[in-house]
Amino acid sequence: MSKTDTFELLKKLTAPMGVSGAEGSAAQAAASELDKFGSTEYDAATGNLFFRRKGWQEGRPVVMLDAHIDEIGFIVNYITDDGFLKVSSCGGIDRRMLLAQRVRIYGTKGEGRVLDGFTASVPPHLAKDYSKAAQVEEVLIDTGMSGDEVREYVCLGDRVLVENECTRLLGSRVTSKALDDRAGCAALIMAVAELDGEELGCNVAVTLTSQEEVGERGAKIAAFIVEPDAAIEVDVSFANTPDSDDEECVKMGSGVMIGISPSLSRKLSNDMRTLAQELSIPYTMEVMGRTTGTNADMISISKSGCPTVTLSIPERFMHTPAEVIDTDDIENTAKLIAEYLRRYTS
Amino acid sequence: MMNELEKLCLLDGISGDEGQVRDYIISRIKGKCEYHIDPLGSVIAFKKGRKTPDKKLLISAHMDEVGFIVNYITEDGFLKITPVGGIDPRVVFGRRVRVGEEKLIGVIGAKALHHLDGDERSKAPDFPEMYLDIGAADKAQAQEHIMLGDSAVFVSNFVRFGKGMVGCKAIDDRAGCAIMLDLIDSELEYDTYFTFVVQEEIGLRGSTAAAYTVDPDIAIVLEATTAADIPSASGEKKVCCVGKGPVVSFMDRSTIYDKGLYRLAFDTAEKLGIPCQTKTMVAGGNDAGAIHKSRGGVRACGISLPCRYLHSPSCVISESDFENTVKLVKAMLPKVYEV
Repeated sequence: MSKTDTFELLKKLTAPMGVSGAEGSAAQAAASELDKFGSTEYDAATGNLFFRRKGWQEGRPVVMLDAHIDEIGFIVNYITDDGFLKVSSCGGIDRRMLLAQRVRIYGTKGEGRVLDGFTASVPPHLAKDYSKAAQVEEVLIDTGMSGDEVREYVCLGDRVLVENECTRLLGSRVTSKALDDRAGCAALIMAVAELDGEELGCNVAVTLTSQEEVGERGAKIAAFIVEPDAAIEVDVSFANTPDSDDEECVKMGSGVMIGISPSLSRKLSNDMRTLAQELSIPYTMEVMGRTTGTNADMISISKSGCPTVTLSIPERFMHTPAEVIDTDDIENTAKLIAEYLRRYTS
Repeated sequence: MMNELEKLCLLDGISGDEGQVRDYIISRIKGKCEYHIDPLGSVIAFKKGRKTPDKKLLISAHMDEVGFIVNYITEDGFLKITPVGGIDPRVVFGRRVRVGEEKLIGVIGAKALHHLDGDERSKAPDFPEMYLDIGAADKAQAQEHIMLGDSAVFVSNFVRFGKGMVGCKAIDDRAGCAIMLDLIDSELEYDTYFTFVVQEEIGLRGSTAAAYTVDPDIAIVLEATTAADIPSASGEKKVCCVGKGPVVSFMDRSTIYDKGLYRLAFDTAEKLGIPCQTKTMVAGGNDAGAIHKSRGGVRACGISLPCRYLHSPSCVISESDFENTVKLVKAMLPKVYEV
């Protein structure tokens, strides 16, 4: 894939709303990219998207490639009489970005309508302390309508999202909402695309799973259904910023991060490292002393257990609408996955 | 008029870098009035009316908006920024800006959420802790595109939402500029001066010089002012309310306004049958603060649009307030000489 293709793919994948528990449109966008390489099935009940690569043969080992399709956002829990929405968070929203944001309100009443709105900021004469980040419970969403008017479009339980479309920065870097983890979804789609038409020694299942941000729930169900023999989890991790600790972050653009953790398969981690070395794919090792905080934690203990490894894409400003990623890192992640599958032997 | 407001709001012009706004305003008033650009960059215009009054009237609005200026580039290629004008640091983190001559897109970040310690999580980052990421791999790459002193401006869309509401950056005070352009387009009863001034947000500086130049007897300042009519504020703390008409102040932190003009505004609104309100707190300030003290003193009136979330990338006003402000100003103009 060319650089332009990667950017365009990211643009398509990040555009739809996919707040935890409401992943339908995002899954649909991903499905339309995967359809040509096999069969897709969206499970509306759980929000998981399943893909089986062409050439699936019963009895062969199954390698499951997983990334989560959901993104952080808000859920409406109250409407005031003067038409402001009160919300709770879906996932660990960065509280530092809550005030005076443009939002889109995904109203589901009747035929459903997307409304524009703004989160209120607290004017200086009311702000007690500029140094305090707002609480999600304090956030008021200005709909520009009265309570009765809003209730014609919005129900409790509807989702609200701060949106920033996918945009290029300098070089191969991009910023968007939802790069966590549509960047991972993109890497999996690109790996599958690269292998199109090739004979492999295993069945390849891709799962783009729901509700990771609220506790890796979709992946738990998906792994039970897929019953993989090995699993690769792709999520985002931390890239360097001026205030970051070198031990905790890697440099942006330094390639795929290969996970090592007591909860992961050391063999898979080592295989990935050897392969990256052999093929000169840029990589770093991401060493974690416990579980990984990703879907891998669920997949690895599904049924009788499944050897799992994480591959991470370095990201800045995680859980904000201003996430930043280097598309080179996505491409290198995809390449490593494709090469791993090419050489797979049970 | 809404289209005019949209064009004006989407122009980038932080204090001291108002060129884009100035160029647009000149393109709009050329041939319709006399004008010149003063040494600070303000546009001083004079439009002939049917009559020449014995007192000089000045109408003023500011072109500049709040934003940032690049003051340092780190070895890693991040830009450090300083706020220009009074920006609440809590509306800055995680925002998109346009920066420099090339209008590059960048995002304002700070330490990753997951790396914050307990106390830090409830703290809003202050300006020194934030930086701008333009995607540069290092200092050298950043320097190819950015110079120290470059401006950064919030990226914002002009959003019409709800029932007759509008949200965008820079409504403060491109709304005032839009009303002045409309007045210049129309036939005026009396000769009138208009100043589109620079540097309001860093201390009413453009208006200080422009008022000296014009030397008016009477001044009307068109502005946007804080409306805090959100559910978490009550009584006088709301200050003023969106949808309840133009705001005419009796006093703010920079000016005690002329009583006669204050009454004229409310009387005129009543005769027109349009809503009109005042601020229920002595808060804020605007160019009237500089103008009313100019030379031997100027009778000043402040007419503002009630605006929620002022000085953020998301200012919110209502279309009806905007229309009613235009009506009020137009109806008041011929009468100010009698006060």
